[in-house]
Amino acid sequence: MQTLLQLILTGLQIGSVYMLFSLGLTLIFGVMKIVNFAHGQFFTLSAMLVAVLVPWLLMQGLPLSAAFGLAVLGGIAASVVLGMLLYQFAFRFFQRDLAGSFILSVGLVLLFEGAFLHYFGGAVRSVPPIIDGTVSIFGTAVTLQRLILCLVAFGFTFALYWVLTRTRLGKAMRAVAIDHEAAMLQGIPYKRIAFHAFAMATFLGAVAGAIMAPISTVTPTVGADYLVKGFIAVIIGGLGSVPGAIVGSLFIAFIESFGGYYVDPSSANMAIFVLVMLILLLRPKGLMGNG
Amino acid sequence: MDKRVLYSGAGAVALLCVATAAMTAGYGTNLVCWIAIAVLTAASLRFVMLIGELNFATAAFVGLGAYGAGVATTVMDWPFLLCLLFGGMVAVVVGLVFGYVTLRTKGPYFLLIGFAFTEVVRLIYTKVHWLGGNSGMVGIFPPRYLDAWLPTFVVAVVGVLLLALYAIEKSHFGKTCIAIRDNDAVVQSVGINVHMTKVACLCVAAFAAGIAGGLSAYVNNVISPGDFGFLLSTFALAYLKVGGEDNPLGPVAGAVLLVLLASVAMGMGAGEHVFYGMAIVLSVLLMPKGITGLIQRGWEMRRKRSAA
Amino acid sequence: MIRMGTKTSTAFFVACVMSLGTQAASADEVIKLGLSVPLSGAGANWGIGSQWLCEEAAREIKAGGGVKVGGKTYNYQCVAYDNKYNAAEGTKVAQTLLRRDNVKFIGGSLGTAPVRALQSLTEREGVLLFNVAWGASIKGPDYPLTFTQMNTPNEILFPLIKFVKSANPAMQTVALLNPNDATGQDTEKIARKAWESVGVKVLSSDWYERGTTEFQPIATKLAGVKPDAVDLGAAPPSDAGSVFRELKAAGWKGVQVVEVGTGAEGLVATGRGAVDKTYMGAAVTFDGPNVTARQKELNAGVQKATGESMNAVQIGFYDSVMALKAAMEKAQSIEPKAVAKVLPEITFPSVFGTAGFGGQKTYGSPQQILIPVIVTQMNGDKLVEVQRIESEELKQRLGR
Repeated sequence: MQTLLQLILTGLQIGSVYMLFSLGLTLIFGVMKIVNFAHGQFFTLSAMLVAVLVPWLLMQGLPLSAAFGLAVLGGIAASVVLGMLLYQFAFRFFQRDLAGSFILSVGLVLLFEGAFLHYFGGAVRSVPPIIDGTVSIFGTAVTLQRLILCLVAFGFTFALYWVLTRTRLGKAMRAVAIDHEAAMLQGIPYKRIAFHAFAMATFLGAVAGAIMAPISTVTPTVGADYLVKGFIAVIIGGLGSVPGAIVGSLFIAFIESFGGYYVDPSSANMAIFVLVMLILLLRPKGLMGNG
Repeated sequence: MDKRVLYSGAGAVALLCVATAAMTAGYGTNLVCWIAIAVLTAASLRFVMLIGELNFATAAFVGLGAYGAGVATTVMDWPFLLCLLFGGMVAVVVGLVFGYVTLRTKGPYFLLIGFAFTEVVRLIYTKVHWLGGNSGMVGIFPPRYLDAWLPTFVVAVVGVLLLALYAIEKSHFGKTCIAIRDNDAVVQSVGINVHMTKVACLCVAAFAAGIAGGLSAYVNNVISPGDFGFLLSTFALAYLKVGGEDNPLGPVAGAVLLVLLASVAMGMGAGEHVFYGMAIVLSVLLMPKGITGLIQRGWEMRRKRSAA
Repeated sequence: MIRMGTKTSTAFFVACVMSLGTQAASADEVIKLGLSVPLSGAGANWGIGSQWLCEEAAREIKAGGGVKVGGKTYNYQCVAYDNKYNAAEGTKVAQTLLRRDNVKFIGGSLGTAPVRALQSLTEREGVLLFNVAWGASIKGPDYPLTFTQMNTPNEILFPLIKFVKSANPAMQTVALLNPNDATGQDTEKIARKAWESVGVKVLSSDWYERGTTEFQPIATKLAGVKPDAVDLGAAPPSDAGSVFRELKAAGWKGVQVVEVGTGAEGLVATGRGAVDKTYMGAAVTFDGPNVTARQKELNAGVQKATGESMNAVQIGFYDSVMALKAAMEKAQSIEPKAVAKVLPEITFPSVFGTAGFGGQKTYGSPQQILIPVIVTQMNGDKLVEVQRIESEELKQRLGR
């Protein structure tokens, strides 16, 4: 029973990061029909800046929480700015062009990975956790840091859900995702919506990176593993579907958690890929997709 | 009209073979081999685009061809041509099953199934010990008599397959595929079995990819699972995009440019990625129709000017 | 716009063709040492450090008057290409080094898959190959021109594990974890035998994919079998640190070993408070009483180039250059085959002190560098050398 609880909690924690990742991916695809392979780079940039800024700010004499807070803001801001630049000068021209946007993003991945390696160096960096210590939930140990991560991720997810269902901007986004021409006929300012969608997606990716930094290893290639899992989550859930992204992320996370324990991590990985294929064959648009 | 193109194409291939044969063995001939294999992989990817699908499993088929040829050479010790064909056939058989099962999905979903499939196959290679596991397979050598002629052979095989793909593209079958890409409901309504046509198209592409894989196994002599991950499909797509996906010569132009650029970039260390990535980004942004698109526009503009 | 496009691409094409056509004329006095190492991706730091050490060794030799063979003086030049840790790139690098750059000596190569690609070419073309690959299969009488320039699991694991057991006699069981690739598979095979040879039972042996960042599930599994010791085999230090941190969070305590652990920084970066008392088998410390000024200099240089301290993998790239100089001067030849014949007979100044080549009993021919196995242990977040083990053959060679 203990193990089961532990595994479930682990699954939730892992899943919460995948969730933030895949929400960004599905948002971009839903609204602009762009497959953005470079999404991981926002994650990486944010995480790396946090890993670089925190020690520096600590040296300036700031207390840990302030240092962390500032670093997080800095990391997220930088990533969002990068995202805006990429959108304005690159991705904007490739909406609804699956292959084109994909290749563009691949080129960007190569570019950024090389750039990060050059500027940040290949060494692994670490960020001290904001809060140390473990807490006991139903008898299983959970580190406070991971708990916070989980809560933050779920918090943002609900925030996004609220935005999409309650605000005008959100409803406009959903309209564009369903049929962008009809939406434009209704007078929805498509360009502005697309811009906001990209910004929000970048923001989510950057947040994921910033809060993952204290828990995970931070290297210039850290975004890649999450990217693949994020894509798979989005596929399983259905491209363009926010609930689908959530379901998909948790699904993968639970396979990783349970599979990693009962079998071994590399078989669990293989199982995830095989399951993706199976799900897509049975429900070609993903579990909750609508195109 | 098509016959003329085919004959001039055959002539070009023959010329290339002679040129390759005249080159002295060394780095240059290796480069030619790598370019040729890249061309064939990109052409295989382009062929599936005829039915309007982006086939990310291309890397898996290349890998199957390579491992098939490798196993046939090192384990079963068959004659060379048989090994190469065996690699191609392995790819076709797997392609048949894969296509039959997955071609019911479309667009981004088919793309991502192909992606997942490539990774699954790659993980399987790492776990199977008699395939060499993670270290890969070594000692895949072409027969001695072919040693000096390997580059010519590679260019010849790739050239012949390119011509064959072109011929199929222009045939009735190819036109059906393009019709499916444009609107498969209409094709279905005429009574053609859309699904099996798509599967057949995939099998042809799989054969080409498998042969490319087998050739690369012989050229490099060593293969490992890491060579056939999704990055290979990605590069094939890059060659296609940079070269221009509309034109049958697109794969050639893109592969030539990008493989040469990679060779130039090799000495740059970490800068290689930046350089290569920048090249891809710039070509996609500035030349959306690729190199061949650019050239074609140039011709059309000149024709308009002379007509005016 | 179109004109520019055609012009630039033509210029590119011409430049590339020209670079192909010109064969670099090998000057009499410069011998090129090829390096096939990862310069990007996860292994980039190893590659960058290795390249720096090769160049530093070349600088040192030049400052000392060069290599004197047959009345002429030669100097070394290190040429490094990125093999991206896979076979296809390794082959391209091999072709570039051997065919385009006409290199006759490979100063070092990293990564089992690219090394094998390189080896199939070097043996055929009579090129001397130094490598830091783990596998035993690349050595042997079939590969007379291949030499391994660092300790491999065959040399490290038995002495290391014997020492760990003697320092922790109460230890009865161990759980193994390795990355799922050639290095991991080779290491695990030998580790099993080594643990069993000292009477410790192997409870489980697991695998994970390189590139994993989430280690909690696997740590839960390891903790679940309640082993006395956890051996992380070929896991790189940063992965190992993450695993130990998760193990600590899961409440496990015990003996921690990272056999192929090369350095403390990665371990501490991810493991923080959970890596105290961890044993490592391939790391080197630079602040004990036995450390020479030269070693400190080299370490400082690598630290500047990569952000991490020098490790055994990179040291191999310095040692091979020194070995090459000694062998060339003994053989009085710059022909690879002649140099290869003499290598097993010479001793040369390595970073670890005087060293030589041997290993005939294990591999069938003397192609393995003989250097001491250095057992280190984490004390807080500093790495301390606890034992320096010299094999019988090394002792004999040094006349002890």
